[in-house]
This record gives sequence, structure tokens and C-alpha cells, in this order.
Amino acid sequence: MTKLFDKYAPLQTRVDMMMKMGSDALGVEFDDIISATRGRIGNRDILLAGTNNYLGLTFDEDCRTAAKTAVDDHGTGTTGSRIANGTYSEHVDLEKALAEHFGMPSCVVFTTGYQTNLAAISGLAGDKDVIFMDADAHACIIDGSRLTNASTIRFRHNNPEDLDKRLRRRGEIEGGNALVVIEGLYSMFGDVAPIDEFVDVTHRHGGYLFVDEAHSYGTFGPTGCGLAEAQGVLDKIDFISGTFSKSLASVGGFCASKHPEFEITRKVMRPYMFTASATPANICAARVAVDKIKAGGHLRDNLKDRGEQLHAGLKALEFDLCAEPSPIIAVRRPNEGLAAMEWNWLMDNGVYVNLAVPPGTPQSSSLLRISLSAAHTEADVQVIIDAFAKMKASQGEIMSNMMSKLQAAE
Amino acid sequence: MTAPTDSEIYDKICELLKPYNPKNHPIEPSSGIMSDLEVDSVAVFDVIMEIEDHYDVSIPMEMVSDIKTVGELVTAVKGLTA
Ligand SMILES: Cc1ncc(COP(=O)(O)O)c(C=O)c1O
Repeated sequence: MTKLFDKYAPLQTRVDMMMKMGSDALGVEFDDIISATRGRIGNRDILLAGTNNYLGLTFDEDCRTAAKTAVDDHGTGTTGSRIANGTYSEHVDLEKALAEHFGMPSCVVFTTGYQTNLAAISGLAGDKDVIFMDADAHACIIDGSRLTNASTIRFRHNNPEDLDKRLRRRGEIEGGNALVVIEGLYSMFGDVAPIDEFVDVTHRHGGYLFVDEAHSYGTFGPTGCGLAEAQGVLDKIDFISGTFSKSLASVGGFCASKHPEFEITRKVMRPYMFTASATPANICAARVAVDKIKAGGHLRDNLKDRGEQLHAGLKALEFDLCAEPSPIIAVRRPNEGLAAMEWNWLMDNGVYVNLAVPPGTPQSSSLLRISLSAAHTEADVQVIIDAFAKMKASQGEIMSNMMSKLQAAE
Repeated sequence: MTAPTDSEIYDKICELLKPYNPKNHPIEPSSGIMSDLEVDSVAVFDVIMEIEDHYDVSIPMEMVSDIKTVGELVTAVKGLTA
């Protein structure tokens, strides 16, 4: 007879293999997070280079004060959803501030970015609509489409011509509409979408364009609105979603729209209606962060410089990089085992990056993924480059270590 | 163009699956695409895009979640190309 967890036996084998390489890369436990760029495990100081803390605002004085004051004034939790007792004037104020930043009439805030896409996509796509999603879409876009009865078609990553072909192939959508879903900056490879071209193709077919700017809000555009702003097409985007968990230095998410009718979806989006709203501290910290982002040209300048510095440094070391310079720099490794060994080696040498493995990555790739912060200094980035250089020089040692660990496991 | 036969579709799918089957598991109609051939859940959809382009058909994602084996995939493609 099969037992409940038997289906996870192959996954367990994979996890066991990872554990043989060192510690669990997908379950790191920090003893302390000291600043936007420093953490501590035991007595080891760790340079944080994988936290998506793009503008470093989690330790900003004003953001912290706003969060502390919110706790004192309004308590620790909301104990209710947005449609019950969970809407405070602060939630509404934040929605207004974000709507104004995008120049859009409607914005809804959610408890997390993950729930934002679940809610917005399932709220927008009805039974007769068809979702077209980029092949590298984040899990929450895929899961959002699964909450609908809409048919879902995937198109080749960052390829507007391929979208065009698939929209044409699908033909007229009787009684429904096409909802095209893309991201701005892709979280794993750090590559940028040609949003302007997607606007053209989508609207030529009469569809609606939804852009998740989770990684690009705050990091791109003259006022930090994201890649649609940077590419000059912000006013043409139908829906923009994002998260508070990266540049906004908090926890939560938002979806803004140029369609005032978007407001009606507050009455149908289940991941909005049936979960508690974000805490006052989260909301008030994010509200201050919006203003910091608008005025954060200097932060974006440093972030850009650091991205170029790291990209050039790793390229000079002949690492295989997945995209052009951006705040996300992914180093492609030959296989999962070696990537796990190297991830552990980097941790032992005081640098935290992300280990990213299939199916969470495009092209079944194994990655050492770095995300930079405006709080990183030139010297910090040099530490990362030096660590990768030393790791490369220690490749023989790392390899033989891996072999002996694998043999010991047999 | 005449509709492809089952065996033509089967041969084509085996060919398209090849790059996603690095361990060279033997492919049979009863092979589980994810369970036996170890194609990961994202790569499955990449194979689907190749099939869509080859036969100029749309195979929506919700249809793919019901397809577990190579044989079931052949049947689905057959239905769309008939
Ligand atoms: C593209 C994308 N969308 C949404 C999310 C979810 O954001 P959150 O952490 O707020 O749930 C993430 C973050 O992991 C992401 O990478």
C-alpha cells in the first residue's frame, strides 16, 4: 500500500543529495540580519547578495520609524480581511499613493505579491477569456491562471513575434478577451522584457497587457515606476502588479490599472477577500518607501553601477552569465550538484547568494543567483567578485570534495 | 495537408522529447513524461510549445495537466490535428 508521502520519494532523494553537499540551501537560517547587506550565522558575518533588497530600504530610518509608529498607533495585526475589518485608512492612503505614482485611476493592495497575482489574474480572466503567459512566468502567475477556468497558452520567453503567432493561431476569442501576462525584469536570469513591443502586439490583437514589475518597480525608470516607465509606455499598460517585498522593503503587493472598472474586482478576488490584510507596520513602511523610490534616483544610479561592476568582474573571470547587467546577475553552473557545492563554499566564505534549481529556473538550469542592493558599496561588490575568483581557483578541490561526499553517500 | 497518423505523431514526439531526456530513458507509449522520463514540470511545457509549432495547433496548459504519458500526448495531438 502506498503511503501519503511516498510520492515525494524522488524529491527526498534529491534533497538528501543536496544535504550531502553541505547545508540546505533552500532552508538557510540566519541568526541575525544586521543591515540591508549584512547577516550573521553563528560567529560568521555574511555579506548578503541574494535578498532582493534592491534599494536597501529595510533599514532606512524613516521606513523603520513609520513601521514602529504604526504598531504603537494601530496595533500589531489587522485580524481581518480587506472586505471585513481589515481596511484601515493607511491601506487606502497607500493605494492612492501608488495609483498616483503610476498615473492610474485604480490600485489595490494585497497581503503578499504572490497573492496579488493569484487574485488579479483570477479576478480578470473569466471562463471565456484566454490567458497568454510568457514561458518564464513566475509561479504565482502560473498558479493565478490555475485558479481560473480560462484557457491558458504559453509563448516563448521575451518573444513578441511568438506571442503574435500564438494569438493569431488561437483566432477570435468568442465572447472573451486575451489577457497577456509578462514580467518586467525576470527574477531568475535578470533579463528585461521588451514591454513596448508587447504593448504593440497585444493591443493590435485587441488584448489586455498585464505586467508584473515585482523586480523592476523601484529599480528602473526616472521615478522608479519600473520598466514600462523606462521604456516610455507606462500609460499604455492595462495592469501593473508588484510586491512590497523587494524595493518597497516590506511585505505585501499591489495591482494598479488604467481601467477604473478594475475596482469591481475587489468583490470577486478570493485571495483578496478571504485572507487578512497586510499589517499596519507593513503598510506604513511601504508608504514611506514609495516616496523614497520616487526621489531615489541616486539609489538607482548606485544600483546600476554596482550591477555593471559585478557583471564586468564575473565576465572577466569567464563565468557564464545569463543576461546583460541588471540588479539580478545569474551565473549558470553545469549541474545541480556542483552548484550546491559552490553555494556552500560561498557561504563558508561569507557570501550569501541564491541557489536556484529546476523547475524554478528556465531551461532546467542550475544557477548561483545574485541580487544587488543600492546599499552595496563598490568594496562589497569587489568582495563578491573576489569570492567567485577564489571559488574558481578552488574548483579542483570543490570537485574532489563533491566526489568523495557522493562516494561516502553510496 | 493530410492529418498525421498516430505513428507519425508518436515518432515526432519522441524526436522532440530527445533533448529533454538527457538520461536517455527508453521512450514508450506508456512512459510517464514526468515520472519516467524525468522531464521537469516547466520543461514539459517547452516540449508542448515545440509540438504546437510543428503541428500549428494550440495545446492549452489546462489540457496538458491531464496528460501523463507519451501515449496520452499522442492521442491529444491526434485530436487537435484530425
Ligand atoms: C515575478 C514575481 N512576482 C511576484 C513575486 C511574489 O512576491 P511576494 O514575495 O510579495 O509574495 C515574486 C517574488 O518572489 C516574483 O519574483
